[in-house]
Amino acid sequence: MSETLTATGISRRYGTSTVVKDVSLTLQPGHITALLGGSGAGKSTLLRLFAGLEPVDTGEIRLGDQLLSSPDKTVPAEKRRIGLIFQDFALFPHLTAAQNVAFGLKSMGKEAARALAAEWLERLGLTGRAEAYPHEISGGEQQRVAIARALAPSPAAILMDEPFSGLDPALRGSVRDTALAAIREAGIPALLVTHDPTEALESADCIAILQGGTLLQQGEAAEIYMNPASAAVAASLGPVSRLKAEHLPEGLAGQAVPAGTELIVRPEGVLHDENSPARAKVLASQLTGPLCRLLLQCNGQALTALVPRTTAPKAGTEIGIRLDPALTFMFQSADT
Amino acid sequence: MTSLTYLRSFRVRSVDGPALLAGLIIAVPVIATLIAGLVFGGGDVWVHIRDTLLTGYTLGTLGTLALTAIMTLAIAVPAAWLVTMYRFPGRGLFEWLLILPLAAPGYVLAYAYADLMGLMGPFQMAIREATGLSARDYWFPDMRSLPGLAFVLTCALYPYVYLTARSAFVSQSVCALEAARSLGASSARRFWQVALPAARPAIAAGLALTLMEAAADYGAAEFLGVPTLTFGIVRAWQSFGDPSAASRLALILVVIVIALILTERHTRGRAGSQQSSTRWRTVSRTKLPIGAGLVASAFCGIVFLVAFFMPVSRLIWLSLESHDQIAPIGQALINTLILAGSGAALAFVLALTIALSARQSGLVAGFARIMASSGYAIPGAVLALGALLVMGQLGITLTGAWAIVALAWVYASRFTTSGAEPMVAALGRAPASMGYAAESLGASPLRRAVSVDLPVALSGAMAGALILFVESLKELPATLMLRPFNWDTLSVRANAYASDERLAAAALPSLLITLAGLLPVILLSWRLSHSRPGDTQ
Repeated sequence: MSETLTATGISRRYGTSTVVKDVSLTLQPGHITALLGGSGAGKSTLLRLFAGLEPVDTGEIRLGDQLLSSPDKTVPAEKRRIGLIFQDFALFPHLTAAQNVAFGLKSMGKEAARALAAEWLERLGLTGRAEAYPHEISGGEQQRVAIARALAPSPAAILMDEPFSGLDPALRGSVRDTALAAIREAGIPALLVTHDPTEALESADCIAILQGGTLLQQGEAAEIYMNPASAAVAASLGPVSRLKAEHLPEGLAGQAVPAGTELIVRPEGVLHDENSPARAKVLASQLTGPLCRLLLQCNGQALTALVPRTTAPKAGTEIGIRLDPALTFMFQSADT
Repeated sequence: MTSLTYLRSFRVRSVDGPALLAGLIIAVPVIATLIAGLVFGGGDVWVHIRDTLLTGYTLGTLGTLALTAIMTLAIAVPAAWLVTMYRFPGRGLFEWLLILPLAAPGYVLAYAYADLMGLMGPFQMAIREATGLSARDYWFPDMRSLPGLAFVLTCALYPYVYLTARSAFVSQSVCALEAARSLGASSARRFWQVALPAARPAIAAGLALTLMEAAADYGAAEFLGVPTLTFGIVRAWQSFGDPSAASRLALILVVIVIALILTERHTRGRAGSQQSSTRWRTVSRTKLPIGAGLVASAFCGIVFLVAFFMPVSRLIWLSLESHDQIAPIGQALINTLILAGSGAALAFVLALTIALSARQSGLVAGFARIMASSGYAIPGAVLALGALLVMGQLGITLTGAWAIVALAWVYASRFTTSGAEPMVAALGRAPASMGYAAESLGASPLRRAVSVDLPVALSGAMAGALILFVESLKELPATLMLRPFNWDTLSVRANAYASDERLAAAALPSLLITLAGLLPVILLSWRLSHSRPGDTQ
């Protein structure tokens, strides 16, 4: 029976700078939690605290009832049974794929370890690569070996540090799907550190947003996307346009906007509507695939909209627009 | 590749000519010795050597190499691991102190240890005073033996393995070690099963270098009375006056050196050692508990004490205590500066040529590089023999200025590759695209070499020049064989005094050689501490 991995009020300081500040985060078994944030947000440090590679300065980390970290005690990484997957794969270059996977199976007999390693390689679509050395296989295969290696010893939890960002974009999707399916099947808590909001939204059941070492919001992916707690959270989950209440043209918002408010709107929330009294000039129209990105100027404010390619207006034209209230979030302006 | 494009890659460009010439200058002594050894080496002297001395020489060399390898690995690898992975008292100091023994040639350590451990040395005197025993009543390690030779060579040469192992440990993937931890590996298992196998090729390369230098040693073997092949080569030339018999002995030594190089290549095998990591994080050193920390400090401290501090202090003490016995060495110093200066100047020009041509790909440049590196692996005594044979064939008598030319040639042949290394490294730090940019702007290979690559290479030139000068200054066997009559250098003078058991007189030239040797070592340790990949994200 898998257990919850919980951090309560943990902090980590390097000299005078606090890299992780009073973070509480619960990782549920069978759920993938994405830890999302820009560079320097403290994501990797938080992962290292969970892994036991660094001690906490305050708070505690528990696996079920078992205390793993507190300011007085750190169960060493090698005793935690928490698997790690890195961006650069971190395979042992002198061992074959099968030997890499069997590395953590020392407590088993040699034959049993070999059989289990072969089973994991097969599960991750690496049959026939067992005897290859890391430098003889592709990046995607290397990462799948790393995932098999981390999962083979049946860890109590798994932590992934930007595991797919080193891969070719064409490969990334398929490796991610294979890997996450195997992790979900294991039914253990999983943390996926990423700076890519699309990856977080596509892959994770829950998202936790970290900025400057502080956890801004955590919850289910759809819930956070539709109900961000702050402008920073909304912006961290994808591109947004920011509009000040006092510069809003008549009829754009479609709802009452109190003075001193900032409107945050997602590109798909800017709707093309010729019946709207609010007019915007199309500065540029960029094809992004099935959709077109429109760069608009409305009453001196810049907006971005995503519209179907077939109905996209041309650059230089003037169009009517309105905002979708479900994708428009109002926050107290930072200026007031 | 079609045959036409294959042939085109052979075209000689303007930068290839000088590189080929440089390669040839370096390789000729090697080739001459090999040909002489194969074709002319079978006279009476050879038959005598083969029947009476060859087994001893070969076993002496192989035994010395085996013992040196074992002791070097046992000292250098743990020391490198400790200073890279752990925090303990004095770690920062030991990190560079442990490189210092590289400054003292093996023969200098041999003189110091023969005195320290001898019957009248401080250790044996102290034992006799403390116990009242006489010299016959107890056993004491005899430095004038094969283990004694291996011991001093280990002291002088272990830093090669220490440096390569340390550099491999510093640049290892921290993520791989952390992955091993998350898989439950203890710190001992992480060392034996993750770090050590990944560092194996680097350690093997350092060990190959150590053993090549050990095989090339003449001064320590001769002084400690251990018959080795290099000792035999110099003896065949000096005592028997037969260069062709010497060159056949050299052939056997070259075979051993080639076997070492091939073994080193073999250790790379199919298994990779290249980390998959593309991003680096500084190795975060684990603080050792007090007890373990003191053991680590003691280990590193004893290594430094035994390999450098004790013998060098003894030489200083000998110089001070018996200053009345010190012979004037002013002339030897001037001779040394002239010889080392000429050798270094020639080697510098060759090294720069090789470094610049290495920047531009092509089969001719590659061939020139292979020729250039051949001298590096070959002992000085063998190269001296080659120079002797070539000059003899040309009808040149090795006296006066010709002898100096021959020695400068041998120094250049032996040391150019090590002098080129910092320049190649300086060039390596500039992206290859820089050269392509110059070519895309219409620069010819020659203009590219002169106006783009040369200024970059010169940033490593000072280090290169210093290494060349100091290596030439320390060289002993070739200098003994080729120097003009009565033209003593510091190393020759030290060797002569030591051979006469005038160790106090040998101490000062030995110290001066060690002092000069410290300069590139300090430069090296500065470069190491300022260029570790772990420091840059």
